[in-house]
Amino acid sequence: MGRVRDYVRKMAGTSISPPGVDPGEMLFSGLGGFLGIGLLALLESHLVAGTDLVLLIGSFGASAVLVYGVVKSPLAQPRNVVGGHLISSLVGVTAVKLLGAGTWLTPALAVGVSLILMHATRTLHPPGGATALIAVLGGPKIQQLGYLFVLVPVGAGVLVLVLVGLLFNNLLPRRRYPEFWW
Amino acid sequence: MNEETLTPAGGAGPPELGDEDIYEAMKEIPGYLDITPGSFREVYRLAYRLARKRLFAEQTAARLMTREVIAVRPETPVEEVAEAMGRAGISGVPVVDGENRVAGVISERDFLSRMGAREGNFMSLVALCLRTRGCVAVPIKEKRAGDLMSSPAVTVAPDTPLRDILHLLETRRINRVPVTDGQGRLMGIITRGDLLRTLGGALWAG
Repeated sequence: MGRVRDYVRKMAGTSISPPGVDPGEMLFSGLGGFLGIGLLALLESHLVAGTDLVLLIGSFGASAVLVYGVVKSPLAQPRNVVGGHLISSLVGVTAVKLLGAGTWLTPALAVGVSLILMHATRTLHPPGGATALIAVLGGPKIQQLGYLFVLVPVGAGVLVLVLVGLLFNNLLPRRRYPEFWW
Repeated sequence: MNEETLTPAGGAGPPELGDEDIYEAMKEIPGYLDITPGSFREVYRLAYRLARKRLFAEQTAARLMTREVIAVRPETPVEEVAEAMGRAGISGVPVVDGENRVAGVISERDFLSRMGAREGNFMSLVALCLRTRGCVAVPIKEKRAGDLMSSPAVTVAPDTPLRDILHLLETRRINRVPVTDGQGRLMGIITRGDLLRTLGGALWAG
């Protein structure tokens, strides 16, 4: 029964949590998130208010965590942020078009396929999974956008997030962004 | 021969890092690193092995060889060869012709086997001496290096990688191999001792 024991033992974990960050890092992360999402919210209220468009979606909050809080992570690099969101939104919209939003299969496939494609394109970005879900579950306002969803809010939004990441992170002596573009 | 026994990278692991060491190092890098010390250690172990392997494989005959080689000519009388080897404390010399081309190698083993030692090593000669009355250099007296040498010599080119040299020494059961240029001219020699130093260095350097 060694196999069962090994299986259970894996659940105990083998390593330790990486170190926490100093207060400065906490502050900068928070400030970055505030600026990135704040700018998107401002743009939304000034540019798209009154139209059928939206600019701020929930998955951007997750991207903000990575771009302003885990600056060095491969998951937070522009290639991943832009690619991950674009691919996942395409998958999400396509899933709705093919299967409709009413079945359990649609969100499951949207997230599953997004994951595969993000891996395959080396654009893994966890918030992409949320973006795929939003395409499915985002309600009528999102669904009537169709493939426009990929451009606005997703394409426009990630550009703003990455741009703020470039401008803000590089202002700080201790930070640099990105680690790589491509 | 299996690569694991050839490559120091195969046997010797990297200096062991504890999770605490990595944790402390990660603390010195500002910003959140989304990798666990455990994952880092795995990467480190593998990278270390690969680097070892690469450095090891990059060693070539030209970099490993001794350039000052004691060599003899085919017409050198064997007693002079033996004296030269004895003086230098070496167990073999290349035999070169007038143009410095390697014609063969003459080693202790060539002497011993020609003196009647069946296994070509010193103890079998001792055994022979003890069994027969008096001792036994007689069969090779008056001979010359060219008569005793092993020929053609096993040689390597200057760009032969360490891996191949080790393989050669092992499979041909020789203790030294002359390094020759494209025309077969002697450039240097690599002995087991040289390799021991190199490999020992590689082991401790990491």
